[in-house]
Amino acid sequence: MRLGLDVGGTHTDAVIIDTSGIVCSVKVPTDHGNLLSSVMSALNSVLDAAPTPVSAVHLSTTLTTNALLEGKTEPVGVLVSSGPGIHPLHHRIGDAFFVVDGAMDHRGAEVLPLDAAQLGHAANACKERGIRSFAVVGKFSPRNTMHEKLMAAALAGQADFVTSGHMLGGRLNFPRRITTAYFNAAVWRTYNSFADAVEEGLRKLGIQPDLAILKADGGTMPLAASRSLPVQSILSGPAASIMGITALCDVQGDAVLLDIGGTSTDIAVVAGGTPLLAPGGIGFNGRQTLVRAMVSSSLAVGGDSVLRASAGGVSVGPDRCGPCMALGGSVPTLMDACNYCGLSHVGSLEASRSGMEALARLSHRDVADVAREAVSRAVAAIKSAVDALVVAVNEKPVYTVREMLHPERIAPKKIYAVGGPAHALSDALSSAFGPNVVVPRQHAVANAIGAAIARPTCGLELYADTERGVKLIPHLSLSAKVDRSYALEHAKEDARRGLLSLVAAESPTDIELVEASSFNMIQGGRLAGKTIRVQCQIRPGIEESYLPAFRRES
Amino acid sequence: MRAGNRLGVIVFPAFDWAISPTHPERQERLLYTQDQLREEGIFDIPGITEYKPEIASVEDVARVHFCIPDVASVTTESHLISAGGAVRAARLIMEGQADKAFALVRPPGHHAMKVVHGNRGFCNVNIEAVMIEWIREHYGQKRIAIVDTDCHHGDGTQDIYWHDPNTLFISLHQDGRTLYPGSGHLEELGGPNAFAKTINIPLPPMTGDEGFLHVIDNIVIPILNDFRPDLVINSAGQDNHYSDPITNMLFTARGYALLNEKLSPDIAVLEGGYSIQGALPYVNCGIVLAMAGLDYSFLREPDHDAQRLRQDPRVTRQIRLMTDAVLENYFRPKRKDFPDPGTFISRRKRIFYDTDMIADEQVESVMRCSECAGVLIIESDSSINPPALCIEIPLGACARCREAGLQRHEQQLARGRHRILQLINRPDKIYENRSV
Ligand SMILES: [Zn+2]
Ligand SMILES: [Zn+2]
Repeated sequence: MRLGLDVGGTHTDAVIIDTSGIVCSVKVPTDHGNLLSSVMSALNSVLDAAPTPVSAVHLSTTLTTNALLEGKTEPVGVLVSSGPGIHPLHHRIGDAFFVVDGAMDHRGAEVLPLDAAQLGHAANACKERGIRSFAVVGKFSPRNTMHEKLMAAALAGQADFVTSGHMLGGRLNFPRRITTAYFNAAVWRTYNSFADAVEEGLRKLGIQPDLAILKADGGTMPLAASRSLPVQSILSGPAASIMGITALCDVQGDAVLLDIGGTSTDIAVVAGGTPLLAPGGIGFNGRQTLVRAMVSSSLAVGGDSVLRASAGGVSVGPDRCGPCMALGGSVPTLMDACNYCGLSHVGSLEASRSGMEALARLSHRDVADVAREAVSRAVAAIKSAVDALVVAVNEKPVYTVREMLHPERIAPKKIYAVGGPAHALSDALSSAFGPNVVVPRQHAVANAIGAAIARPTCGLELYADTERGVKLIPHLSLSAKVDRSYALEHAKEDARRGLLSLVAAESPTDIELVEASSFNMIQGGRLAGKTIRVQCQIRPGIEESYLPAFRRES
Repeated sequence: MRAGNRLGVIVFPAFDWAISPTHPERQERLLYTQDQLREEGIFDIPGITEYKPEIASVEDVARVHFCIPDVASVTTESHLISAGGAVRAARLIMEGQADKAFALVRPPGHHAMKVVHGNRGFCNVNIEAVMIEWIREHYGQKRIAIVDTDCHHGDGTQDIYWHDPNTLFISLHQDGRTLYPGSGHLEELGGPNAFAKTINIPLPPMTGDEGFLHVIDNIVIPILNDFRPDLVINSAGQDNHYSDPITNMLFTARGYALLNEKLSPDIAVLEGGYSIQGALPYVNCGIVLAMAGLDYSFLREPDHDAQRLRQDPRVTRQIRLMTDAVLENYFRPKRKDFPDPGTFISRRKRIFYDTDMIADEQVESVMRCSECAGVLIIESDSSINPPALCIEIPLGACARCREAGLQRHEQQLARGRHRILQLINRPDKIYENRSV
């Protein structure tokens, strides 16, 4: 039996499932001031109802997300070494940002040794300010980790925790590496005390299940591993929702998933039955990160979006100003328009009607017209955001003639819509998207189910340079010698094994090779060596054994 | 950081295409540039967006070149994608999706001439010309300036625009007496209908940042100010770099960025540049930052040595002398005694294709015309193809030139020694290729 828990904006849901379906579930109010108490109270009550002990617990929490958004983090000493390019001060983050001279080039050759005096100065300055959590990041550190290791070593005596950039993987993006390492160090302490408390709480209940957290890519990561990479737990909520839909609906082939909420609509794309992962990483609070995430976009249209009307037309959102009038709000929203049109029966229909009438009077228009236009405007906005996302996926740059001539394109056949207003909008969605719109029956704890059935996911990059005689798997802090006979096939095998070691999984068929390239490096007309790059990943999915039960559920 | 200009970058490194495994134009060429751009996080900067190239159509090529025997025989898909990358850059600008665009694509194109029998100087089709004529086909006859900053003379682009008064072609390059292709001398100034619309600036070997920027400030900018183009295109070859293995200059990455900032082209298109590890990552990064209007003060090559890269005073003197001659050429050209409008003027050309080892003997005749670029007739006798006759009725052709072109085409169909007959009829959008 497995337990899935999802911390939402208003409720924290927990569900226990086995291969025959849902065993029991609970909903408790979310206390944003004390997430731990919400989590523990949901765990307690759902476990109370469980007939047998659970073997695994998957948590999707907003702990790190909220801590970062609200600035409830600890100060971080950020030390970066940067070769030529964009000035590193443009990447400044936090109040203790230090640039240490030293540079690696794109092949990982040391261009400039690390400046020991500047390093010492930065370490001292942090010590004086009582900083105990650090991020050390070098430009091109996935090609040579030495400078990051030297910086971490210099902080060893004074740091409780150091995030080294290369631990975040082998993808090249210095600014994202800095941001992600900073976030990771900033939430490390908060996250670990939360993890301690959850473990302790479960121990007191007499169970010691496998604990894992849900990530923004819709996969899980063992809690133990997440203790040094807590940043991986940010923005897992939308991923839980997407995984919930894929569990509850028989999502196959290419499809689009819509989660229409109160303030916004989240869009995800499924290719071949599996959520598509974004090539970069998730954006958070105005900064880009290396945290793997699904391809998604969000638009500010939801049930609570404020309506405005004039002779020129009706607009929906982007702002929210409390709930709809039907539920006691003060201004008419999209949900009130749905109520007026008879598409929904939420709260007080009378309140919705008077709100819509007032809106129509202000703009000297017919009230039914205004309500209908609001609904069609909202759906048109969703449609154009979906189209734009699909175009963006299909227009993703490619770098070979072969891929230009034989492009892989997705062509969504079905649209799945969930969330409060989804049912009310279903006819309008069908007329915008065609007959293949599915609005599955609402499930009270869909997100918790999504967390429960998720599988481990992971990505890993390998880089080898046979002229320099090295191979690196930055994620594993692995750096080893290779001779000139090291080839792409060896690299693929090494990467595959590395990835399996990370997820402790046995089934090798799930591994997707994102990139596998080997280039001859020519110097002075002769072969100097090869540069080899391999990137592989395990995409999110659902544990097979749980599938049949949930497809019956829906 | 936020880009001051909305910049579109088309990155197409053609990782699966090479002229031959060890040729400078090989798979590896833009690999380290891509690494650098990625590590800098360039495409996360608000305002800078990466776009996919298009694939140029056969018609896009046939509107510019006489491909002998036909387009398919002298191009591969990679050439059409590279040209399509330039077209995409133009589309971004013309449709207003970007303020500036950079086609960071390969293979290059600026040695490809009007008539194409194969590959010369690593080029098959002229990607800038395909782009420019695509613009004109869809947006009308624009005044366009091309500033070619590749180290080699842009002889292909010069050949294509030799007669076009609406295109100003300026080439900065290492003196042809010391480098392939050997042309680009001061006195090459364009045909009778576009005299002094071709401007050559041959630079002595070992020209450094000082010399290049002097030329931009004192020659290129004043000429552009006078010509007042609708669009400025930069053929952004990067082989002037001090580490380039096949040239002899001292230009730096920051110099390229400064040049770009001063020139402020609407569109830049990559041409040559073969120091793929030591120069291209930094030069390309510099061009992107400069085009986006961002700070590049921290950009320099790892082995940059200001002492060693200082320009010799003798080089500086030579450049100053040459500057006056070039300005004279543009502002007060010594017009030759051109015959009256309505008569044909001919010149003989010998063209050698270094990569494909083809020799071509051409007789090129243009009708002297004061109203249009003039109907163009090229007879091409090459070492690999049957004799060909090529007729171009230019965009915006006057009635007389159009009539003369069609008439010559008719005559040729009836009789003549040429086995291949091609017609580019821009006003009527007819591109004909016949074996006779
Ligand atoms: Zn060149
Ligand atoms: Zn004419």
